[in-house]
Amino acid sequence: MRHYETTFILRPNLGEDQFTEIIDRTTAIINGDEGSIICLDRWGIKRLAYEINKEVQGYYVYLNYAAPGKTVDEIERIFRIDDRVLRYLTVKLGDSMNAAAIEAEKQRIAEKAAAREKALSEDAENDEFDSEELEDEANQE
Amino acid sequence: MSQPKKVFSRRRVCRFCTDKDVTIDYKDPKTLKNFVTERGKIIPRRIYGTCAKHQRELTEAVKRARQLALLPYMGTVQP
Repeated sequence: MRHYETTFILRPNLGEDQFTEIIDRTTAIINGDEGSIICLDRWGIKRLAYEINKEVQGYYVYLNYAAPGKTVDEIERIFRIDDRVLRYLTVKLGDSMNAAAIEAEKQRIAEKAAAREKALSEDAENDEFDSEELEDEANQE
Repeated sequence: MSQPKKVFSRRRVCRFCTDKDVTIDYKDPKTLKNFVTERGKIIPRRIYGTCAKHQRELTEAVKRARQLALLPYMGTVQP
């Protein structure tokens, strides 16, 4: 089974039930093919950098899972048909996950989340590089 | 040409090889924004000083983020 992560964007004004319904349908496809969900993260409604289908905001969902290859085809096929899904992107992270690797990945994600929360609470500013200077150099062509 | 020859003295080591342990991730628009100009274009490697491998990873990450509407294709990101 391979390790994938999928990020997809839903229309923002659907409501919580419809979000849950789409996510549950996706997880059912994965579980039906003997895959396993490693991490499901709802980022919530964010502002899009540009308009997609006349929408300026979108509901982001991040899914990290291990599944065989044909599962991804099935998920993307459903996404393509469904109008409520605006965009999707699937990235393969690795081949051949077994149960031990899945556990390790879950732990790694949990650690990263904990570290990120700590960093947010510290609120440090580390920008030592001068973006203005770079822009001037870039514009000199 | 009357202009003197410009030597880019930025012989800096690649940022990702040395300081940062933070990996390049397309899901993180905040860090990716540093490697993109104000118009949204990717900053060339000779100006920034990254090594080739990380510049390739960076480019791929920026393009993926653009597809997910985390970064714009053109213009700045509104906060």
